[in-house]
Amino acid sequence: MSNLNQAMIEKYRSSFLNEVEANVEEGHWVKMCMQCGVCSGSCPLGPHWEHPPQELFMMIRANEREAVLKSDSMWMCTSCYNCIARCPRGLPITHIMHGLATYAKRLNLVPKKQPTAEFGQMFWDSLSKNGRVNELKIGVGLYFKDGFAQGVKNAMAGRELGMAMMKTQRMNAMEYFGGHKCKDTSGIQKMLKKAQEFEDQQITRFDGKEG
Amino acid sequence: MSEAIATNQTILVVGGGISGLTAALEAAECGKQVVLLEKSPSVGGRVGQLYKYFPKLCIPTCGLEIQYRRLKANRNIRLISMAEVTDIKGEEGNYNISVKVAPRYVNENCTACGECGDAVEAEFDDEHNFGLGKRKGAYLTSRMAYPQRYVLDPRIIGTDDAQKAKDACKYNAVDLEMQEQDMELNVGSVIWATGWKPYDAAKIQPYGYDRFDNVITNVEMERMMDPFGPTGGRIQRPSDGKEPKNIAFIQCAGSRDHNHLKHCSRICCMASLKQTTYVREQFGDEAKSTIYYIDIRAIDRIDDFYQKVKEDENVSFVKSKVANIVDNKDSGNLILNGVDTEGYNRYANEHDLVVLAIGMESNVPAGVFPEGTAINEHNFIDFDPANGGIFGAGCSSDALDVNRATQNATAAALRAIQVVNRVAGQEG
Amino acid sequence: MSENKTGAYICQGCGLGERLDTSQLVTIATRDGKANVAKEHEFLCSAEGVKMIQDDIDNEGVNKVVIAACSRRAKTDAFRFDDVAMSRANLREGVIWVRPDTDEARETTQEMADDYVRMACAEVKHMKLPESSGEQSLNRHLMVVGGGISGLTSAIEAAKAGYKVDLVEKSGELGGQVGKLYKSVPRKNGLQGYVDSEIGELIEAVNANDNITIHLNTTVAGTEGAPGRFKAELATESGSTSSIEIGAIVQATGFRRYDINQLDNLGGGKSPDVVDQMGFEELAKAANGGTIKRPSDGKEVSNVVFVQCAGQRSNEPGHLNYCSGHCCTTSIKQAMYVRDAGGDATVLFDDLRTPGATGEDFYRAGQEKGVAFSKGKCTSVDTSGDLKVNFKDLILDEDATANADMVVLATGMVPASGPNPYLQLELDEAKNQEGQEEKVVKLEAELAKAPDSILNLSYRQGTDVPHLKNGFTDSHFICFPYETRRTGIYTAGPVRRPMDTSQAIEDATGATMKAIQACENAAQGRAAHPRSGDLSFPSFRKEGCTQCKRCTVECPFGAIDEDEKGYPQYNEARCRRCGTCMGACPVRVISFENYSVETVGQQLKNVDIPDEFDEKPRILVLACENDAYPALDMAGMNREEISPWARIIPVRCLGSVNTIWITDALNSGYDGVMLMGCQKGDNYQCHFVKGSEMAHYRMSKIDDTLKTLNLEKERVQTYEVSIADIQRIPKLINDMDKMIVDEIGMSPFKF
Repeated sequence: MSNLNQAMIEKYRSSFLNEVEANVEEGHWVKMCMQCGVCSGSCPLGPHWEHPPQELFMMIRANEREAVLKSDSMWMCTSCYNCIARCPRGLPITHIMHGLATYAKRLNLVPKKQPTAEFGQMFWDSLSKNGRVNELKIGVGLYFKDGFAQGVKNAMAGRELGMAMMKTQRMNAMEYFGGHKCKDTSGIQKMLKKAQEFEDQQITRFDGKEG
Repeated sequence: MSEAIATNQTILVVGGGISGLTAALEAAECGKQVVLLEKSPSVGGRVGQLYKYFPKLCIPTCGLEIQYRRLKANRNIRLISMAEVTDIKGEEGNYNISVKVAPRYVNENCTACGECGDAVEAEFDDEHNFGLGKRKGAYLTSRMAYPQRYVLDPRIIGTDDAQKAKDACKYNAVDLEMQEQDMELNVGSVIWATGWKPYDAAKIQPYGYDRFDNVITNVEMERMMDPFGPTGGRIQRPSDGKEPKNIAFIQCAGSRDHNHLKHCSRICCMASLKQTTYVREQFGDEAKSTIYYIDIRAIDRIDDFYQKVKEDENVSFVKSKVANIVDNKDSGNLILNGVDTEGYNRYANEHDLVVLAIGMESNVPAGVFPEGTAINEHNFIDFDPANGGIFGAGCSSDALDVNRATQNATAAALRAIQVVNRVAGQEG
Repeated sequence: MSENKTGAYICQGCGLGERLDTSQLVTIATRDGKANVAKEHEFLCSAEGVKMIQDDIDNEGVNKVVIAACSRRAKTDAFRFDDVAMSRANLREGVIWVRPDTDEARETTQEMADDYVRMACAEVKHMKLPESSGEQSLNRHLMVVGGGISGLTSAIEAAKAGYKVDLVEKSGELGGQVGKLYKSVPRKNGLQGYVDSEIGELIEAVNANDNITIHLNTTVAGTEGAPGRFKAELATESGSTSSIEIGAIVQATGFRRYDINQLDNLGGGKSPDVVDQMGFEELAKAANGGTIKRPSDGKEVSNVVFVQCAGQRSNEPGHLNYCSGHCCTTSIKQAMYVRDAGGDATVLFDDLRTPGATGEDFYRAGQEKGVAFSKGKCTSVDTSGDLKVNFKDLILDEDATANADMVVLATGMVPASGPNPYLQLELDEAKNQEGQEEKVVKLEAELAKAPDSILNLSYRQGTDVPHLKNGFTDSHFICFPYETRRTGIYTAGPVRRPMDTSQAIEDATGATMKAIQACENAAQGRAAHPRSGDLSFPSFRKEGCTQCKRCTVECPFGAIDEDEKGYPQYNEARCRRCGTCMGACPVRVISFENYSVETVGQQLKNVDIPDEFDEKPRILVLACENDAYPALDMAGMNREEISPWARIIPVRCLGSVNTIWITDALNSGYDGVMLMGCQKGDNYQCHFVKGSEMAHYRMSKIDDTLKTLNLEKERVQTYEVSIADIQRIPKLINDMDKMIVDEIGMSPFKF
């Protein structure tokens, strides 16, 4: 996968903006930013980002490729759409953030221990295995992702909520062992495999093996 | 109105603001016959509502006075106030214009003595002051009103007040029987100069114009500066009448924004720079102004005004489109949230008054022009051969400052003259 | 109608009848004012009242009319009589509305009204109807100087209106700077990106138009005359000359390129690959849609950096301190050239200035094409190897360097105007004075750098159109962009003000409008703005003239020349009727038919001056009719109280105030004299440019007169006021009243 990153670096040596335009979902919008900063000011999680959206756009323009792709900023987006609603140029900023995150993941540049990325991976693993998400397993997985001791602490902190959910039958402890699957698990897996093939093809195009 | 007041060698000018006045006067002073229509009871338009012009900080009524004097002296112009065009048919050199004239309820006997105004009791929001103050039901639109003739608010017709106005007038000038009139004009060319209106600030939800008393617009600020305006010439907070000490100006409020007006309204940067000098004028060193901007567009030679304001240590500039405003309910102050894009510093700045540099929305109406007239997506009339003898002037053609509007209106006058001269040539 | 017959008509309406003894006013008009007819009417502006006056004009031979009613600014439609001289005594706004309605005030209010009636009768007696000077001529023919986009537009637009044009171009071809462009910024629909230039079609149209005569390789060797009767000598490069007669002139001489060598820190002059915008256009034109090749080695450029505001918007020595207005859109357009050829383009800007609808759309179009925009301040361009642009990225707040194949410096427009005519005049004056050697040296040095004359006017006040600032020949008025200090000569395009192509087209069309109007005005003997339509015109009594030249020097419009003997030579169509010459004349020989030393002097002399012991001072207020007088009217509408001792006379401009009026007033026993004009100085608001300035200067010398009369200098005051001073002006008058009463006392000159 790091080969892909290297290939991209070489292909778009002069312009990260062009790279983003070609490879990131909605990336062609980045160039339309008129640098007003309203997205950055509107983000409810703004204070927790290292680089707010407009800064990411400006860094893209300034060829600060590594800093952008290795940043965990775009992973912070919670899809509240405040930025999209207010952007005077109509940039789909939320989608661009997700697009950048996805691209960074594809290039294997996600920062270690990035919680959104970890959650995404768990979600995906659960989904792709059974055709549906096992909420309990994901929940437990998240609780314990930072080690056993932290997991216990997390579980204790959430215990009232957990008990209440069990009481009202919103959660079933037995789901942890196996749990529901969709009707045609193998069908789903076949579909996903096919999709993965397409995706891999896409990637190999840039991987120096082709074109 | 059966008398022929226009022919196809007449130029029709629609709108009596600075652009329409200029176009009408320039054409008339060239010997052309002009009919000038104005929707409101008096001419003067938006500039009559301004306190000062940038960059000279001179008084707009000074130029209007000259225009009115030219108007009074010129017999080639026929001014019809309270008139609106409802339909245009025909082609270059031969247009049929349908006009609706609203009743003024006051005839030419009026001497502007003011007795009717004193007699009437009902009060209404004063349009001249953007509703910040009240005016009587019988009124002059302003001290500079031209025609200098009173008008009765149609809402008092049928009430005791109307009768009071009539009884107060010694000169038989109040005519309660006046009716709306329809008029047809045949003209050779049309100069459309209906100007602009301030964009509806309430539509910019994050800024809370409709929720917070102390968020005002820049045009309201102009009215506040008028010594005879709603605040007696004082800049003050609508919530409590206190003197603001720390004023924020928000640029591109409704302009350059696909949620509102896509175009740049051109004047707002200079307007805010100018208004910081008002703040200085009133409060000296005691008040601070902060301009939140995207680009400061002090274009061409008036950039020196920007340079001068920048030197004022009481004025600061933040390159940022403000994200939202929340109010501090106790103090009436407002907290502006956003990010200073020069270095990405997040701010939550408290100000005691916020002035929205509101955008300029074109007043070009729908459903009046002949099919195929080139009106662009911003609702401005393009200069286009498809428009025949119809020419946009001033802010009907683009977002323009006064200087460019009059420049453009002067050009429009020549274009109209070309049309009627061609007609005259053909008719011999 | 050689016999003079004055009719005075006194209105009783609007409270005048109740507040004043109007029958006494009739008596005053007859007895003091010597009116042949004097009548009261309860509602003078009514159809019936107006008919009464018109009947007297038609049947009784009244040819001088006094309307004693409301302000001259009110009811103008009603009180409009042809072929009679008219004066209006302002009893409403000027008397009853500024005085309290009390028994106590009644006597002094009546005295005010009495005086205003006397004054109006005196004024009208000395007024004549303007007569034709015989100078009028109609010449529907323009000279347009400059064959660029502005000049071509002017020529074609004039021709479309049916006027003939001589188009004079210094070079061997039409098109000017715009002709050198590869593509244009669109005039509408900015989203479409750049468009083909229309200049080719425009040149064709101009060439094909029978109304237009083109003179290439030609300059204007001399211009004399006035609107309606200008004569210009045209000189061709080959040495031949010809003469044309024209009605008005449009000067559209455009701009010169800023010398890029002055920007050596930005690489100007140090590398052939650092060019200005015009230089880049040449390369783009040569590439004609292909990849642009750079000058140094012919390499195809794939990466261009545009540096905005290069050497402009800056107060550094040698830089231009203004914004040229077009450079942002021009750089966006050029960056699009680069993008369309597959390269990268970055625009380094401070404020991106793409105003209006088309401008903002064009910016968006540039972004859509992938032009990169960086808010940054370029600190230097390194030309030692591959070009490196060093800049401070203002958004990311870091120093940055961009590599570039080429760098384009967006430099400013330098107006291609002629020399500033006032420099030579100033030099002449300095030479005539003692101890001005330093100034002479400085002015001579400045003049040595001055460009060649463009119009070579034979005017007393110099060869060319005056500059406003930085060499631009702009108007100083916001509402009147075509105000000109040389009547009948209008400048258009970037010589007037920095501007882009679209604005230049609008500007040239507007200037042509004014030029056409100047022809029509000249034919009728009508004044141009701001006294539009005024048919009066100054003349002088030759036998009294001392050839002092004050009038020829002080005229704000350079309208007056000198004949061989040094007598003033007026040029009606150049004159704007402000009366500054009349104010300047020390021997008082200059007058207009309806405005003269007499019409004002007789007014102030006909005011009744009470005895010193009556303790009723008199204050003469000479108020500019453009601003101070309307403000006083509005003070009346607002019922601001004004001292009953004030007698207000409107003047055309403070510049027209002759010091004899002041001396006469003081000699007659006035206790104070107040002059109220518009703002003067660099930010002048005086409609006649320097009338207010001149008045202030003249009044600064009045102290000697006061000294001779042994009077306090506080008795004469000059003010700068505005039309908005609705409360301040009454206060100034009332303060003068107070000062006289409380401090300096009554004038000893009462009889």
